[in-house]
Amino acid sequence: MGLFQKLAFFLGIKRKEVNVLVIGLNNSGKTTVINHFKNDEEKVEKTEIVPTVGFSVEKFQNQNLAFTAFDMSGHGRYRDLWEHYYKDCHGIIFVVDSSDRLRLVVVKDELDLLLQHPDVSNRRIPILFFSNKMDCKEALSSVKIAAALGLDKIMDKPWHISASNALSGEGLQEGVEWLTQQIREYITNKNL
Amino acid sequence: MISIIRKFIRNDLFQGCPNLIATPLNFFTPVNIIDLNISRWLEAHIDRSASLTTFSKNLVLADVCGDGEYRLVLTDLKLENNEKSRLKIYKGTVLTSDQTLPDIPSSIISFYTSNYDSKIPVIGVACGPDLLIYKNSKPYFKFVVPPLPIEALEHSVWNRLSEDPNIDLQSTLDDLSSIPYKSLSPRSQKLLGLQTPLEIKDFISKYKSSEPKKFAPITCMTTLNRSTQDKQSPACPIIATEAGQIFILDPQTFTPMHEAISCATKAIPCVLQAAGMYDVEFRIVIACREGSICLLRRGWLEGKVLIQATANIVDIVVIPGDHFIMTATTDRMLQCYTKRGNKLWNQKMNTDITCLCLIPLSHLSTSLLGVGLRGGSIQLFQGRHLVDIIVGTETPSAIAFGQLGQEEHVMVIITTGGAINFKILKRTADFNFGDGEMNSNPIQQTKPLPLPKRSKLFLEQSMRERQNAVDMHQLFQKDLIRLRLTAARATVQMQSNQSSIGNEQELVKLSAQVPLISPNLTYKIETKVQEKDALVEDNQDSLQDSKRLLRVFVVRKREAKPIVAATINMPPTDLSFLL
Repeated sequence: MGLFQKLAFFLGIKRKEVNVLVIGLNNSGKTTVINHFKNDEEKVEKTEIVPTVGFSVEKFQNQNLAFTAFDMSGHGRYRDLWEHYYKDCHGIIFVVDSSDRLRLVVVKDELDLLLQHPDVSNRRIPILFFSNKMDCKEALSSVKIAAALGLDKIMDKPWHISASNALSGEGLQEGVEWLTQQIREYITNKNL
Repeated sequence: MISIIRKFIRNDLFQGCPNLIATPLNFFTPVNIIDLNISRWLEAHIDRSASLTTFSKNLVLADVCGDGEYRLVLTDLKLENNEKSRLKIYKGTVLTSDQTLPDIPSSIISFYTSNYDSKIPVIGVACGPDLLIYKNSKPYFKFVVPPLPIEALEHSVWNRLSEDPNIDLQSTLDDLSSIPYKSLSPRSQKLLGLQTPLEIKDFISKYKSSEPKKFAPITCMTTLNRSTQDKQSPACPIIATEAGQIFILDPQTFTPMHEAISCATKAIPCVLQAAGMYDVEFRIVIACREGSICLLRRGWLEGKVLIQATANIVDIVVIPGDHFIMTATTDRMLQCYTKRGNKLWNQKMNTDITCLCLIPLSHLSTSLLGVGLRGGSIQLFQGRHLVDIIVGTETPSAIAFGQLGQEEHVMVIITTGGAINFKILKRTADFNFGDGEMNSNPIQQTKPLPLPKRSKLFLEQSMRERQNAVDMHQLFQKDLIRLRLTAARATVQMQSNQSSIGNEQELVKLSAQVPLISPNLTYKIETKVQEKDALVEDNQDSLQDSKRLLRVFVVRKREAKPIVAATINMPPTDLSFLL
């Protein structure tokens, strides 16, 4: 990126709007993750976060990129909704509850469904995994989560996994910075 | 005739007709078999070293901490003398609580006690005659079933033992042993088993101050919602004892609200299933060790026998909605009865049935029945249709299905080898219900055809049919030939009668009517001209004449020869009538 472009970005002239889809099973911490990035006046008290019904749309900024996050409900009966948003999104945040060993297979099943979907399978869409709830006693490490989900088999898409604690905000910034970078590249490549 | 048809239908419905299974429209087509092989279940966790001994009705999935994380609660039976059975709680796949039980547990339930306190359900474990209630994984309350009456002689023996220290021990013990061993209290049974006089003396001095008591151990339990069908509403524990007593307990005070006996004759309950609500209307289905299935309803003091199975009952499940009673018996049969006890269908399994499990799928608005089979497979039935097979390597001894942790559709399988296996139903699994319905119309018929009852008349008739089949056939043929002959004669007669007033070549018919008998007679003569059986013209001529003989000619224009000629003889006018 040239100096001029950098300047332009810095001054906010060339501001881009991107859509990211936040998915993951219920009780994995999607809404809490999004809540962390919101402005202070929009933030909800962490104890007041309730299970999302359907989905909710939240906006936040990172490095001059305006994110529109579609916070999807992770409940089994709302997971059908996810696929309707695959088409228009520039990046996917997949939140995994690393302490829920029982449902790791369900996460894998949902991930496979996502990767096989025609709106996703032939695009180089970046996927960010949050191995959330790293503070829990029985939490699995992000390496183990990556192995369990078979992330090493994803060859055609950039992906990144970062261990996070959405309550304290640990690990979230790192992940989103990676995603911002990837989305920028994705958009520039697409425009070329 | 009817009896043969009936026999055929019965064969088809209940034994499964081999011809039907081969037809391409049937459910068991190769396409569907491939479908069955695609697993609808995710293999979440398997622990082969859990070494659990758990039977059906000894595991429940409940939100025992009230945090929305459902846990698996089970009892691990230890049948050796030196080991105690244990109550174990699993959070997800991890064992979080393990405590000893005083006795071998027979069954376990979970229920909410009241509407007002925090939404934490209690666990009820039946150990001998006690119902141990655990709340927050800690002992909370103990309910003991009321004692059974003691034999009068046994009572007097213990009275004498406590009153008179110098009693003749031998004669007293002889009195005791004259009572049938089975009806003695455990204390007397133990006393009779002691060998040395010293032991006997010690034993008597230890226990003589208190009355002997006899309790019937609890054999099985279930729960019944009290006033609403809500998942978290209070539910009454229902317990059944070895003596055939059924107690419905108050969920808050744990005192019996209703007491009944399972059946008029002696029957030991082994499985209880309840539906409905205590305050409104309920049905308790009781499977007994004697092979009978009894029904107990609100207000009844005694169960009514619905079904008498021919073999021992392994397990029963009542399907919600239509209340069908699914019964598994030791002769490898899976049978379905209506709530009134009418048999709908049965299916023979290839191996022994070890356990049953209800699989309610609210998102598909149906319920499946899981049938655990020796050898390791679990077959899932919707109605009488096999919709899925879960293949395993070890025989399942207990299956539970429900919410575990955050996941709603988890199947927990405990095998006879002691392994614990968690499977999760895929969100996308739909079990091809739609296809099944379309493809298997002949078998889909869950309702039997409305066959008439086999009355005495029917039996006599079918017996006669079988004995005199040849005679009946010949008689029928003879009658048929006679009927044909009569018909032919009548036709000839008709034709010969018509010839005088009709011309067959010209297809003209005449008929005369005298509508009114009066001095000015009016004749109505109809000329019908028919062309190839179809009536083309219908002329009506009215003429007045007083003559008694009438000649009618139908002639074509410019032809002298009449087509039809008829002479009508009028009946003589009855003058007296006219006057």
